[in-house]
Amino acid sequence: MKALLATVISLTLTVVVIGNAYYQKKQFYPSVVYLTNSNPSMAVMYLQAFILVLLIGKLMRKVFFGTLRPAEFEHLIERSWYAITETCLAFTVFRDDFNPKFIALFTVLLFLKAFHWLAEDRVDYMERSPVIGLVFHVRILSLLMLLAHLDMYFIVHAYQVTMAKGPSVQLVFGFEYAILIIMIANILIKYILHAIDSRWEAPWESKAAVLLYTELAVNFLKVLLYIGFVTVMVRIYTLPLFAFRPMYETMRSFKKAYNDVVLSRRAIRNMNTLYPDATAAELAAADNECIICREDMHSGAKKLPCNHIFHAACLRLWFQRQQTCPTCRLNVLRAPEPPTAAPAPPNAVPPHAPNMPNMPLPHMNLNMPHMNLNMPPNLNLPPNLPPPPPMMSWGAPPPPPPPPPRPAGLATLSLAELQRMEGNERANIEARLQLLQEIQAMLDAAVLLMQQYSTVAARHPGATVATQTDSVKESPERSGAGEAPAPDSTSPSGLEPRPGAAQPGPSKDLPSSSVMSSTSTSNDSTDAAAEELRRRRLQKFTTEK
Amino acid sequence: MAGSALRRLMAEYKQLTLNPPEGIIAGPINEENFFEWEALITGPEGTCFEGGIFPAKLIFPSDYPLSPPKMQFVCEMFHPNIYADGRVCISILHAPGDDPMGYESSSERWSPVQSVEKILLSVVSMLAEPNDESGANVDAAKMWREDRAQFNSIADRIVKKTLGLHQ
Ligand SMILES: [Zn+2]
Ligand SMILES: [Zn+2]
Repeated sequence: MKALLATVISLTLTVVVIGNAYYQKKQFYPSVVYLTNSNPSMAVMYLQAFILVLLIGKLMRKVFFGTLRPAEFEHLIERSWYAITETCLAFTVFRDDFNPKFIALFTVLLFLKAFHWLAEDRVDYMERSPVIGLVFHVRILSLLMLLAHLDMYFIVHAYQVTMAKGPSVQLVFGFEYAILIIMIANILIKYILHAIDSRWEAPWESKAAVLLYTELAVNFLKVLLYIGFVTVMVRIYTLPLFAFRPMYETMRSFKKAYNDVVLSRRAIRNMNTLYPDATAAELAAADNECIICREDMHSGAKKLPCNHIFHAACLRLWFQRQQTCPTCRLNVLRAPEPPTAAPAPPNAVPPHAPNMPNMPLPHMNLNMPHMNLNMPPNLNLPPNLPPPPPMMSWGAPPPPPPPPPRPAGLATLSLAELQRMEGNERANIEARLQLLQEIQAMLDAAVLLMQQYSTVAARHPGATVATQTDSVKESPERSGAGEAPAPDSTSPSGLEPRPGAAQPGPSKDLPSSSVMSSTSTSNDSTDAAAEELRRRRLQKFTTEK
Repeated sequence: MAGSALRRLMAEYKQLTLNPPEGIIAGPINEENFFEWEALITGPEGTCFEGGIFPAKLIFPSDYPLSPPKMQFVCEMFHPNIYADGRVCISILHAPGDDPMGYESSSERWSPVQSVEKILLSVVSMLAEPNDESGANVDAAKMWREDRAQFNSIADRIVKKTLGLHQ
């Protein structure tokens, strides 16, 4: 309404001013001269031009966007304020070029910028809406094409003017439109990715990675442009203060994109090397539901040291932010590493293995950092120390409950053994080191055991012993290689802490997740119930408003 | 296939609609955009907010559930853990490391295990038991500690006001 009023007033004023000029001069050319020489008349003309730009803007917005969402509108207003402030700052650098044409060019720039921002927001919105119609695609694609052409036109124009007449304010325009065309490229890539993703039946897991690298490349290009622009500006004019805020933000997002890429790569590496794939039994124990995306896990699930299971793709995204287990917040970087990093088959190094006959800890196969299994070969065990067990039960199912491991007590050592530890000869030191290592291993084991107990206790308030884990991972050849695994340890899944069980709250009491996540027509009745409830809810909202 | 954030929000919406928790209604404002929800929270019984129906909105980030949503009451509120503009300040809505108040332990922080339902249940229990160490609304925290009668009367007025708004 206000806009309409302003339009009408400005139109009336323009008509009056032009009418007055024509009435006084009676001819076209003198009227124009009269108008341009009269400041009040020109003010009215500028106002009219400004309102015309706004009207065109409204029209374009209607054509390409329909109605703006409140968030888009707020975003637009916020960014416009920054842009206007920076434009005013730019005016101070180019006071000599200050004329109506200059203002008009800046207005057009702002105008086009606004449409770039809106296009960006709209394409981001694609990820948020389940209903993206044909009109949306037509609008976005035609808008992107139009904006790209305009950007190109202004870049070429700026280039030609600069080449012909030397540096001028056109430098700024050329640079600004170059930034905008990079933005268009970025939006287009995002649009294509979202569009492809929305057509695929299965979740597209590498989309996040592609987006990440696009972000990095785009920000890198922008940073280069900004650096070039500032260098040129400093050489020819002065420090372009008006470019500093956007430059700072670009650098910050470049740094963020870089960090994201690094973290993502690290997460992928950890995922591939540190965490084992979950087995079918483990998946079933976790209700097959990934707590991150609330969808079924069929394959590609990973198990963390705390036995919680997630989709590898979901976990990777989460690890880019935090290196903790989403369920129990175990810090996975500090946690012991799982068996993939464990040493070669035990038979290969038995004489060097530390003497821990009673180390049947569930996590012993997790290769504790200090527990160096590959001791230097020259560190031979003294023959009269208790011999290592025929096979270290790395990862083998331990007999539950695990008795605490003990290094040989000093009191039980024979005189010869004690003497072996005295003195400064190599053998003496080795013997002492051996004992210390046993103690350290015991401490590590104790810490692990405590961790395990607390995890399990937190999960199973009633359970007593559920420390037996990981035994499913033991390959049959290894179990059969000589050591007798505890007979009851072959069915470990029942004892496994169930990752899903750690999730408190009512959602577990709800109908099975597979029902929830399936939108198939097989459960029409539940869908109908949902429909009914949704209608009631919406009704409630509408009546209450 | 829709993005994973959208799929999870749709799943949560479905679950909340099928099994709405007591005293809580929540769902997208407009089903074309699943990232902006409205919620109606009933004041917990036996507290000064009993009987009130408090409207709020939830704005989800595009990387939900990796990042938490933001929640803001859209009615007048007077509570130690709610800013004057209605934003809710509870630990479940903050990622670890992002701690405006510096009093929260990381165990209650946001992680993908949390959900809209758990947020809303936490807000209900926050209404019942304010954490007066949080300084989201210092006046409210002080009044809650020192002048419970006046706090209750303000809460009562707000409850009446929310009911009035919705009649
Ligand atoms: Zn998942
Ligand atoms: Zn865990």
